[in-house]
Amino acid sequence: MNYSRPDGIDALISKHKILVLCGTGGVGKTTISAAIALRAALLGKRAVVVTIDPAKRLATSLGMEQLGDEPFDLTPRLPPGSGSMHALMPDTRLTFEQLIRDLGFDEAGAERVRRNVIFKIFAKEFSGTNEYMAMQKLHSLNQDSRFDFIVLDTPPSRNTLDFLRAPELLSRFYDDKIFSWIVTPANKLLGGRLFAGGMEKVMDLFEKLTGSGFMSQLLEFARSLLEVRLTFTANLKQVIAMLQAPTTGFLLVSPPAPSGSDEIGHFIRSVRERDFRFLGHLVNRSLSHLQSDRSAIDGLEPGLAVLKALQSRERLAGAQVSQAIRQEPIRVFPELARDIHSLEDLIHVALALDDGPVSSTPRSHPTSLQHE
Amino acid sequence: MSAPGFSPSSLAADSTWHNVLSRRLIFVSGKGGVGKTLVSRAIARALPGKILWVCFEDPARPPQEQRRVKSDPSGTLDELNCESARCFQEYIGMKIGVPALAKIFLQSKLIQYLAQAAPGIRELVLLGKVWFERERFDHIVCDMPSTGHGLAMFQSMGNFSALFGGGPLARDAESMITTFSDPRQTGHLIVSLPEEMPLVESLELRDTLATIFPGNEPRFLVNRLIPGELATQLATSVGHPDDWPTPVAESLEDYLRKRWVLERENVQIWERQGIRFGSLPFFPPPADGAAPDATLLDAATRFIASLVTAGRGGAS
Repeated sequence: MNYSRPDGIDALISKHKILVLCGTGGVGKTTISAAIALRAALLGKRAVVVTIDPAKRLATSLGMEQLGDEPFDLTPRLPPGSGSMHALMPDTRLTFEQLIRDLGFDEAGAERVRRNVIFKIFAKEFSGTNEYMAMQKLHSLNQDSRFDFIVLDTPPSRNTLDFLRAPELLSRFYDDKIFSWIVTPANKLLGGRLFAGGMEKVMDLFEKLTGSGFMSQLLEFARSLLEVRLTFTANLKQVIAMLQAPTTGFLLVSPPAPSGSDEIGHFIRSVRERDFRFLGHLVNRSLSHLQSDRSAIDGLEPGLAVLKALQSRERLAGAQVSQAIRQEPIRVFPELARDIHSLEDLIHVALALDDGPVSSTPRSHPTSLQHE
Repeated sequence: MSAPGFSPSSLAADSTWHNVLSRRLIFVSGKGGVGKTLVSRAIARALPGKILWVCFEDPARPPQEQRRVKSDPSGTLDELNCESARCFQEYIGMKIGVPALAKIFLQSKLIQYLAQAAPGIRELVLLGKVWFERERFDHIVCDMPSTGHGLAMFQSMGNFSALFGGGPLARDAESMITTFSDPRQTGHLIVSLPEEMPLVESLELRDTLATIFPGNEPRFLVNRLIPGELATQLATSVGHPDDWPTPVAESLEDYLRKRWVLERENVQIWERQGIRFGSLPFFPPPADGAAPDATLLDAATRFIASLVTAGRGGAS
């Protein structure tokens, strides 16, 4: 069949500065993200991988106990001749502090923001915050001269582009004239009332529903944001421009299962609607490469039946996806026999990402991982 | 009757995990990709009576549309994909009471914006919908979003009740916490996989849920265990996972043996810690590709139904 063949990983690495990896949970997105950054480093790039997965999985894949707000340097553990490799899991609170500084609040304003209850919820627990902070982090890394290649591992989500929801909502906040009218102190002075008649009723009702304090805290939150709206809007525009740049691309990691074609179609549409670039999809945790050697499995016959059924399903699912999007996967990664728990393990995955040569190859080159 | 080829006795399993299935509200939580949707749908189909299965903001399903998917002598099953904007509208309509006033309120651009963007409100109204529906059904089974988002939903209730006293939203949030913390009314089930990361994250999730819903300990269900029992001699020859030089498997059989040994290693870590869990076997999908979802769901439903029947016949 004549489906288009997308660029391989090495070509994607050489043509792009930022790769954003999306996908539902449990497909090994974090491992693939780290492996792509590692491969870039082996190819001589100064790479950094950012994970915003709250479950701290990258930390474990890299054998690190804890990731911090500063990129952790893994370069000393790379084979000689490599570029550099850093890994980072942004600390939401620290990134938030950085954002407050970047937005140019004065000391009193910054303190007011820190004390505000809505801000506290927003910074700590609102589900969109990690995503939003990741965009901020990505933006600052993009300007950091230490790096020339960035991989962003987005949080798992049913809706794969959910991580863009928070910045989009915040930008609507500024577009919405009614809101800026409400929070502008001048309106309070005119006639001594905060809201005009009809609006006042609406706000009264809202305050009654949400309880005492919510509305005033929310208005304070809104006013604080309004104070820095020029910086914020400019910042957001830069983030969007960064994501729309020709050197930024979006990849989808999907499981070798039948749900794939719907998910990929939805993802491609969402990416293109925003004028971002869809580069292709990667299939992970594939069993298709495993051939039978007829060795003994006494007692595990029911398990073998499960694996064979999964292999058959994978062949069908793969054909459906390719037909639906008229494109082959960039790469099919094998399911591994055990978890990744060291950088050496990750090198095995990185070497299997493409067929091209890399600067340095460890002795145990995993030929069985090579894609046909 | 259990699924073919699976012997539950091979693990020191928690034979009482399915006690949560007797509760009116059943929340199925866990990290992404562990099979929450399959497990929760199978539970909903296996339970007798008037049942509602709920998921939250699934882009693949029509929003806020309640669909009857089963009706037989054992009962009915409806499915609902809760959507926050619609839940907010319903909630406001209910609280304001006067339809004309509610309409004006909801038409306000500001309110529409707040319903989407004010931290926690979106999450709160989604859970509120479940809470309000509970009197109308014998059981409601909730397919929670993956760990991070699922926790944000549960935490939204505490935020509101603690920070903004006095209003109906905060009062309802408090009542919701009470209901969801009451083991007579609500059961929390954490689905996991016999893999290192999911198991570690399940324990973290349990600890967080314990702080949100004190006194209502979640039960664990480990999903997709490779069925069968590898002969001891072969298992010994495979060795310990830490000693395997690469994570790569060389053949189908090599993968199967290693995978089985690894799963046993992983769940034994739990057993040594005294953590009890139920288990579901890895159900083989149909090789011919015909309606895989339905066949898997049928197998899981039959398995859970057998546990429900056994549980009801038992002493407790």
